[in-house]
Amino acid sequence: MGLLPFRGADSHPPSVRPRRRDKKGKTTLMSKRFTITRKHLFLLGISAILLLLMACAPDAKQSTFGTSGPVAEQQLLLFNVLLWVMIIVFILVEGVLLYAIIKFRRRPGQDELPPQTHGHTALEITWTIVPTILILGLGIWSAITLFDLDQPPAGADALEITVVGHQWWWEFEYPDADGNGKYITTANELKVPVDRAVRVNLRSDDVIHSFWIPKLAGKIDMVPTRENYMWFQADETGTFYGQCAEFCGTAHAQMKFLVQVLPQEDYLAWVESFGEAPTLSAQAQQGQTVFNSTGGCVVCHTATGSDSQEIVASRVQSFMTTETGIAPGPNLTDLATRERVGAGLVELNRQNLRQWLRNPEDIKPGNYMSGRAAIYQTADGRANLSETEISLLLEYLLSLK
Amino acid sequence: MAHHTEISHHAPEEEHPTTTGINNRKLLMWVFLSSDCLFFGSLIATYMVYRGQSLVGPYPVDIIDVPITTISTFVLLCSSFAMVRALAATNEDRQGAIIFWLLTTAVLGAIFIGFQVYEFNLFKTEGLRIDTNLFGTTFFTLTGFHGAHVTLGIVWLLGLAWVAKRGRLGPKTALDVELAGLYWHFVDIVWIVIFTLLYLIGGFDTGPAGDPSLVPHSITGFLGLI
Amino acid sequence: MATLTDVIDRPTSQSGLWSWITTVDHKRIGVLYGVTAFIFLLLGGIEAGIIRLQLSVPDSTLVSADTFNQMFTMHGTTMIFLVIMPLSASFFNFVIPLAIGARDVAFPRLNAFSYWVFLFGGLLLNASFLTNQAPDAGWFSYANLTEKPFSANQGLDYWALGLQVLGVSSLAAAFNFIVTIVNMRAPGMSLMRMPLFVWMTLVTSILLVLAFPVITVGLIELTFDRNFGTNFFVPEGGGDPILWQHLFWVFGHPEVYILILPAMGIVSEVLPTFSRKPLFGYPVVVFSGVVIGIMGWAVWSHHMFTVGLGPVAVTVFMITTMLIAVPTGVKIFNWIGTLWGGQVDLKTAMLFALGFVALFIVGGLSGVSHAVAPSDNQQQDTYYIVAHIHYVLFGGALFGIFAGVYYWFPKLTGKLFHEGLGKLHFWLYFIGMNVTFFPMHYLGLNGMPRRIYTYASEFGWDGLNMLASLGYLVLFVGTLIFIVNVLISLRKEPDAGHDPWDAPGLEWSIASPPPSYNFAKIPEVEGLDHYWIVKRRAAAEGRPVTEPEAYVDPSTIHMPDPSYWPLVTAIGVLILAGGMLFDTGWDYIRFPIPFIGGIICFIGIIAWANEPPAKEHAGGDHHAEGGHGMEHHPATATAAVMERPAGAGAGAVTVRLLCSNCGNQLSSSFRFCPYCGGAVESPAEPDHQEG
Ligand code: HEA
Ligand code: HEA
Ligand code: HEC
Ligand code: CUA
Ligand SMILES: [Cu+2]
Repeated sequence: MGLLPFRGADSHPPSVRPRRRDKKGKTTLMSKRFTITRKHLFLLGISAILLLLMACAPDAKQSTFGTSGPVAEQQLLLFNVLLWVMIIVFILVEGVLLYAIIKFRRRPGQDELPPQTHGHTALEITWTIVPTILILGLGIWSAITLFDLDQPPAGADALEITVVGHQWWWEFEYPDADGNGKYITTANELKVPVDRAVRVNLRSDDVIHSFWIPKLAGKIDMVPTRENYMWFQADETGTFYGQCAEFCGTAHAQMKFLVQVLPQEDYLAWVESFGEAPTLSAQAQQGQTVFNSTGGCVVCHTATGSDSQEIVASRVQSFMTTETGIAPGPNLTDLATRERVGAGLVELNRQNLRQWLRNPEDIKPGNYMSGRAAIYQTADGRANLSETEISLLLEYLLSLK
Repeated sequence: MAHHTEISHHAPEEEHPTTTGINNRKLLMWVFLSSDCLFFGSLIATYMVYRGQSLVGPYPVDIIDVPITTISTFVLLCSSFAMVRALAATNEDRQGAIIFWLLTTAVLGAIFIGFQVYEFNLFKTEGLRIDTNLFGTTFFTLTGFHGAHVTLGIVWLLGLAWVAKRGRLGPKTALDVELAGLYWHFVDIVWIVIFTLLYLIGGFDTGPAGDPSLVPHSITGFLGLI
Repeated sequence: MATLTDVIDRPTSQSGLWSWITTVDHKRIGVLYGVTAFIFLLLGGIEAGIIRLQLSVPDSTLVSADTFNQMFTMHGTTMIFLVIMPLSASFFNFVIPLAIGARDVAFPRLNAFSYWVFLFGGLLLNASFLTNQAPDAGWFSYANLTEKPFSANQGLDYWALGLQVLGVSSLAAAFNFIVTIVNMRAPGMSLMRMPLFVWMTLVTSILLVLAFPVITVGLIELTFDRNFGTNFFVPEGGGDPILWQHLFWVFGHPEVYILILPAMGIVSEVLPTFSRKPLFGYPVVVFSGVVIGIMGWAVWSHHMFTVGLGPVAVTVFMITTMLIAVPTGVKIFNWIGTLWGGQVDLKTAMLFALGFVALFIVGGLSGVSHAVAPSDNQQQDTYYIVAHIHYVLFGGALFGIFAGVYYWFPKLTGKLFHEGLGKLHFWLYFIGMNVTFFPMHYLGLNGMPRRIYTYASEFGWDGLNMLASLGYLVLFVGTLIFIVNVLISLRKEPDAGHDPWDAPGLEWSIASPPPSYNFAKIPEVEGLDHYWIVKRRAAAEGRPVTEPEAYVDPSTIHMPDPSYWPLVTAIGVLILAGGMLFDTGWDYIRFPIPFIGGIICFIGIIAWANEPPAKEHAGGDHHAEGGHGMEHHPATATAAVMERPAGAGAGAVTVRLLCSNCGNQLSSSFRFCPYCGGAVESPAEPDHQEG
């Protein structure tokens, strides 16, 4: 691990090797105006590397340095090794370049021509072969890593999920969430058990998106014509941040999601409770009525268990074929268990949710809820809902767990 | 070196000294054709990638008529022969023959285009338009661009025939005819490729064998591993 | 149609606006290209400014998401197609005929046509702003986001049509330069005596000729999809958006070498000149350039590592991509070898060339780290890539081009740049670019995706984004300094002389600015670095060359006459393409305007073909063009030309010789060493003295 600059504080930057004395016994690089000593170079190198280290923030929520789980870790390992190769090549080549510039500066009065060398075959062969070997070595190692990471390790009892990209939110399907064939669809917040490989099938219902959880694994695209896949495994519980990485239109910047890595029991508990009829207060029941009223939220959203395949297909069909048709919307069944609203954008609380219902455009410009829902087709884009209706809806939504 | 004699104003192009000895315009034509190769190559690649991927009919097997197109292909081949004669006549300075063979080439090309127009119309009545399915899309785009090349060639040949009528074509200006010939032969060769791929090989394709709604890795067919 | 050319008089203006509009002189066309592209650079820079301003703080609401998306799309498209490519073309135009000893390019009118089509393509693309429908799907506009259901306005039609028009321009220019370089070299300039910039132009042009048709087909298919209901990239119709990615990147990767190779060529001219030493390992540098050009075709899928190609294909593309580092490294090492043991003169041009080397290494190394697919899965579509792009494109291509500007400006104008301001420009650019783009590496690795118009503070990207935006200000000031420098320098009296840098290229042997005919007497090239050979021999003989080739009366030399027709034809092309934007919706005549454009094009071409290249040629000679530009002058012109030293060229002996001074082996027949000017140890000619 000492090799890795970004893990742990105990890593030592390699010292710059002492320069060999040149023939005349000078150890310094000469120039008229200033003298660069070995010490200077050393300090320069050290401070450069320290600067490098400082700017990397493994704690940052989407840092690729603060990895968890085998996939991201192996990718980071590869990158770190490359980084060291790059740093070394950089220091060597730029160093020689700088040396040449300083050492061979034209000085006043130098009128005679310098020796007109025009090549050196042995040297040229060397600097062709050495990089080739270096690169083939790196290449082979990378290829091995690549094949390693292609599939979850054999024998791993991987949890299988399907992620479907929508402009601009995420749909998660668990064909078999609990090992007993329970089918779940949810959205925008992925719940997975800790220490278990998760195999992700990637699909898209509209344009190309890309599924990326920086701390858990590199991204893979979600292409409408392909069945892509990837896998990851989280080694610790907690919240991880994900993001759509392929430009997919207006709200691409806000197509985010969260991954909740839960202890095995918590995960199973969530699976079990999913779709159970929530306990609704009287107000919430009124809210439910608003939700289910004709032309209301239920055209696009399901709030009572998983979406059936057919209903999703018909929403997608409507979305793709008509300019004003309905859009598929995130499943809201377990909404109240989520941390955020608007595809990982803002904290899920009464205030934000109210704002979302008043005008989703305020939180997420371009979204297809206010873009398509009949109740939002008003002059100022605000919902055609009375404040009481909104409050009732809120009551209902917040009891969905 | 440096013994370039002075060049008279009316000297034919060929005698202008160039580094390689190849005439500039001829080289230009070769470079252009190499570029055009990639152009048709990409269109053909598109066709090949989408072979058998149409979700709805009509499929090639329903509609492609190999015998008729064999005739039009033969006509186009003959036009290349006429083109060769036209160049020969130019080199031999047989004024009447130049015009005759140029016009013959153009007319044969026009007959080919006639066949194509007929074919396009027939397909249209049989329900294949450019937006019907992938077969229609790729077929009309590829053959359409080829047809446009032929049409351009015909205009060029007619222009040359007009020049020839004014007595301006002859051995000294044979390059003008040669360039048109290079282009014409190229377009002809491209057709041979298209004919082979779209008619002889792809002409019997049917619809997709499996579930049409899923086309995973469809592209693999042509691009190998990718 | 020939009558048309009889009715309309041949343009004759030699000065004023009209002379620029009808010019076919490669030097003037070079200037037109350069100025136009520079204006587009300012435009692209302003777009970058809006991007940086928006991103300088989190949750910024300066511009809307859609505007931001238009900004980076137009920024990328402009910088690549309207800035770097035409700036390179500007150098091709100005330098190539001079560097190979020709009077003009092979097809001067085709050259003018290329320029006008480029201008119109650029205008067409930017006209989208006027209708508030600028394209907004990124510079590689991945399908199927570009299809009608997801992109209903005409932005992408502007984009696709604009790029097709620009493609016509690039292809025409590439044809022209291939023929020019292959066919119009002065006697004695064998392939391996061509200056490196000429070589790289040749390779670039070949790449263009082969790469552009591929994107053209992609763009045609996209246009058809959007306007004629085809299904090339529409999944619902069975099409595959990934096909677009293949077509785009089969073009797109060679394209990035189209962008960098000219700059590498320029740098390979500047470094030797200001090190006073020939290019180290010339054949290897040439060869590695060619190899980069070839290998560039085998790596396109490294832009698609996350698309799901499968590990086998990914491995292949990963290894081929990584291997490109080898020929590129060879170039870098040979450049350093050129400096080694030389006398490095830090003129502004040299600073930019050295800056190029230094910064390109950084961009190249991050490139190699993208090439490693597993680690690229974390980097792809993040600011780490944005950092790479700008190190190779700004630090690379643009620095190389500025090196060329500072290097050849005296040749173009006869005036030297103000060195102090030039150096200030360099340092502002060098520092500003590192401040702007280096932090982006971290941003990317810390998870900041590209093409996001806003970000939340919680991700910890605030500080570095602010830093990057501050860097932009430095670049902005640097650009202004450059403009000031140009304006100041243009007002000066000519002070450059014909050869201010003691340079090796042919172009420095003639006056600055060069006369319209370039060379009164086509030089006989004696070796690589011809002009050094000439100068050093002269010095050795005790009569250093202090004068450029003498001026002759231009009317004694046949040059192609100005012409209207390239412009007319280009206007036809513009109307043909732009007219596609006006869809009547009628059944048969959906697009009437393109027909008009087509007819104008046709008239232009016919008239062009019937117009003799030069007036005196009228009658009988109806050839388009070709060869006339380089036709050898009548004998009268030669008389005035400086005498050649006796014994040079044809008469020399052909034995293997050693230089008594530097010991270099000389592969051809010289009396004086081309490398050091020293006398040659030759048993055949013992009577020569040391120089
Ligand atoms: C001038 C343009 C230019 C140039 C020259 C390059 C050069 C290279 N590029 Fe870059 N590239 C772009 C422009 C360019 N690129 C652009 C615009 C994009 C983004 C497109 C987009 O998505 O918008 C891109 C994206 C891009 C990607 C895709 C990243 C992604 O989207 O995930 C990759 C992946 O492999 C890549 C790799 C490389 C490599 C290996 C080189 C090599 O040629 C570099 C070789 C050079 C060196 C390595 C340095 C010098 C060598 C030495 C000192 C020798 C010793 C070195 C070693 C032994 C390692 N580039
Ligand atoms: C040669 C190519 C080139 C050049 C030179 C630049 C130059 C710059 N680029 Fe750009 N860039 C690209 C090619 C280039 N870029 C490409 C291909 C992309 C990808 C696009 C995509 O994703 O589709 C990109 C994307 C890109 C992004 C990412 C956008 C995103 O993903 O959301 C950013 C962000 O900071 C950026 C910034 C800059 C900056 C600050 C400059 C600066 O260096 C600009 C410096 C220029 C100036 C400072 C000019 C100043 C203007 C004046 C002085 C005018 C004065 C006014 C008058 C006289 C009227 N660029
Ligand atoms: C036209 C279809 C449509 C209608 C009708 C609709 N929505 Fe939505 N809804 C969406 C879409 C699409 C999204 C996802 C927006 C995004 O994140 O880009 C969404 C998102 C949401 C979210 C946030 C979900 C999350 O996980 O972030 C909530 C809550 C919500 N809708 C509630 C409602 C309520 C309540 C109603 C009725 C008043 C309603 N929606 C009506 C389409 C619709
Ligand atoms: Cu989805 Cu970006
Ligand atoms: Cu590339």
